[in-house]
Amino acid sequence: MTEYDLDDSGVVVIIGSGAGGGTLAHELTKRGVGVVLLEAGRHLSAEDFVNDEWGGYEMLSWLDKRTASGDWRVARDHPVTPSWSCQVVGGTTTHWSGCCYRLIEDEMRARTVYGDIAGASLIDWPLTLDELEPYYDLAEARMGVTRTNGLPGLPANNNFKVMYAGASALGLNASTGRQAINSVPYDGRPATIQDGFTVTGDKVGSRWSTLNVEIPRALATGRLELRPRSRAVFIEHDAAGKASGVVYVDAAGTRHRQKARAVVLAGNCVESSRLLLHSASSLFPQGLANGHGSVGRYYLRHIIQTVWSVFDKPVNMHRGEIMTGVVDDFVRHDPARGFAGGYYVELNSMGLPTTAAFLDPGWWGRDFAQVIEQYAHMAGMLLSGEDMPQAGNRITLNDELDAFGVPVANIHYDEHPNDLKMRSHGYKTMTAIHQAAGARRSVEAPAYPASHNLGSNRMSAKAEDGVLDGNGRAHEVPNLFIADGSAFATGGACNPTLTIVALAIRQADFMARQMAAGEL
Amino acid sequence: MTGIKAHKDPAMPPPLTVAEGPEWVEALTLLAPDMAHTLLAATRTLYPHDGLPERVYRRVILHFDRMAAMSPAAAQSLAEFVDRVDAAMPLPFRDLSESYRVAVLTSLEESAAFRLVQRSAVRFLYDDVEVWQAFGYEGASVHLGGYAARGFNDLDWLPEPPAGV
Repeated sequence: MTEYDLDDSGVVVIIGSGAGGGTLAHELTKRGVGVVLLEAGRHLSAEDFVNDEWGGYEMLSWLDKRTASGDWRVARDHPVTPSWSCQVVGGTTTHWSGCCYRLIEDEMRARTVYGDIAGASLIDWPLTLDELEPYYDLAEARMGVTRTNGLPGLPANNNFKVMYAGASALGLNASTGRQAINSVPYDGRPATIQDGFTVTGDKVGSRWSTLNVEIPRALATGRLELRPRSRAVFIEHDAAGKASGVVYVDAAGTRHRQKARAVVLAGNCVESSRLLLHSASSLFPQGLANGHGSVGRYYLRHIIQTVWSVFDKPVNMHRGEIMTGVVDDFVRHDPARGFAGGYYVELNSMGLPTTAAFLDPGWWGRDFAQVIEQYAHMAGMLLSGEDMPQAGNRITLNDELDAFGVPVANIHYDEHPNDLKMRSHGYKTMTAIHQAAGARRSVEAPAYPASHNLGSNRMSAKAEDGVLDGNGRAHEVPNLFIADGSAFATGGACNPTLTIVALAIRQADFMARQMAAGEL
Repeated sequence: MTGIKAHKDPAMPPPLTVAEGPEWVEALTLLAPDMAHTLLAATRTLYPHDGLPERVYRRVILHFDRMAAMSPAAAQSLAEFVDRVDAAMPLPFRDLSESYRVAVLTSLEESAAFRLVQRSAVRFLYDDVEVWQAFGYEGASVHLGGYAARGFNDLDWLPEPPAGV
C-alpha cells in the first residue's frame, strides 16, 4: 500500500470509509488524487463476519456512548445508543440491506412543494434532480442495483409473498424492488445465496459495500493510504481559515497530525457534526464552519417503524434477503392525506434475537411470550418516510468526554405533528396489508436506534440556512467537504445510501475540476 | 415444536453448559445461589414460555453472572433488583405465585435495575439456540449454502406472485 508522510499537505484526508467516504476515496484516486482515508474501526474481511445477529452487532457497531433527549421514544428505549452506525472499514455499508431508491423531484423541492409548515425548517435542495440523475445512473451501475442496467429483480421470498398478497388485495403496487444485491453474478461478485445475514457483514459478498468494491479498487490505483483504527479527534485550520490537517489517534493510542490539501468528513451524521462542533478555534468559536449555528441542527432520522404480524401458517421470514419488497403508492406528496411528504413500505425480516429485542422494548409477560413463540408464523414490514427538519432537533456536545477527550454527543429529537400523522397513516397501511393477507394479530413496533441519520450539516442555497453548498463544501471553509447523509438538505423518504453514493461521485467531479483549475 | 433445525454460526462460542440438577449453581462465579434463584424466577415471570425447559432459563442466569463479573455496576444493579423484589411482599419473590410476581415486577418497571434485568433477559434468552429451535428460527445459514435451496420461497398457502414482480 502507498504511504503518505504526515507532513504531506498534498493529500485529501477523508474521515470515514462508508458509503460517502469509501466511494469518494475511489473516485478521487481514480482521478489521480492522493488520499489518506482515516477509519475509526478495524479492517475486517468476509471470513471475520458471522451469521449471528448479536455477534454481528457487537462486531460492527459504533458503540461509543451517546445521550438522547426529546420526546422521541428512542430516547426512552435506547438512551445511550439513540443512533446506529458502524465502526469498521466499509462503515455502515457493511451492515445495510441494500435498498436503492432515488429521491424524487418533489422531495428535492420540499419547501416549494410542501409549503410553509409551522415548526418545520424546510428548504429546497441547492441542486436539482436533473443535476443529480446522471450520478444516480453511475451509482446504480457501480452498485449493481437490481432492475437497472438490465439486472433482474431479486426473487420473491416467503415474507414477500405475504406482502404481495395483502397489497394486491388492497389494490396497491408491490414488487421486490431495487437492491444493490446481486440477483445474478455481477462485477466479479456472486449472486445471493439468500442467507439472510446481509446486516451482519455479508460473508458472501453479493451485496455492494465500500469494503468489497470501492476501497479495494481505490487501493489498486496506488494512490490511497487506508489507515484503520484511526480516530479523528480534531480538524485544524490555517491563519486564512482553510482546513490544514486532521488530528487523529491510532490503535496504539498515539496522537498524529496528518496535513491536508482538503478535508472531507464522512463519519455518519452524528460523528461529522460532533467533530465540527468540537473543532472550535478563535476564528470559529462555535465550531468549524458553524458561523450561522447550523452545525448539528435540523437532524433527521426518517419516520422508521415496523409492523409484525402473526399468521395461521408458517412464514419463515428469516429465510432469504431481508428487504426485497416495496410498496410505492405513498411516496408522492399528497396533501389529501393530511400530511406533507411520503413514505415507502418495505419488506423487513429479523431473526428471533432482534425481533424479540425490538418488537416493543420493555414489553414482557404472557402476552409478549405468546406472540414471540409464534416467530415462525410472523411476517414483517418497515416504513421509511420523510420527517420534518426542525431547528431544535440537533446534535450538541455534552460536558462528559469520551476516551479520546472529545465530548460525548447528545441527540435531541422532538416529533413534529407531521411526523405523528405520517406514523399513524403508515401503521394503518402496513396493518391493513397484513390483515388482507390473513394476519391474526399485528403489532405496531416503534423505531429502533436511528440508522438513517441525515441533515445535521445540511446543504443550502443560502449560507445562513445550512452548512454546505450544493457540492457538499462548507460555506465558510473552501476546502472542507462533507460526504455523508448529514449533507442532505431534507430527508426525502427513501433509504439514503444510493443518494450518498451519487452525491459522492458528483462531489469527486467537482473537487477534481477545482484542483485542475488550481482552486483547491 | 416446529420440525426445523436451528444452527449457530460455527464461529460463535458454544452454548454455556449447565447442570440438570440443583448443583447448576456451582457454575456461578459471582452471583450467590439465592440471588441466582430469584433472578431465575424473575426471568421466568418476565418471559413465561411453559414449553421451555428450566435449563434455558438457567443459561440466562449464567450470562447474568458473567455480566456481573465483568461489570461492577451491573453486579450492583442485579443486587439492587433482588433486594427490591424480595422486599416488596411479605414473602421472598421466588415464593410468590405468578400474579403477585407480575405485580411486583410491574411496580419496578421504571427502575434502572428492572430495565437491566428485563433487557438482559431478552438479550440472552432469545439468543439461545435451544429457544431458536423451539420457536422455529433456523439461524446461521452461510455454512449450509444459505436458504436459496432450503426454503426461502416455499410458502405455499398464498397465491404465487407473478414472475418478475
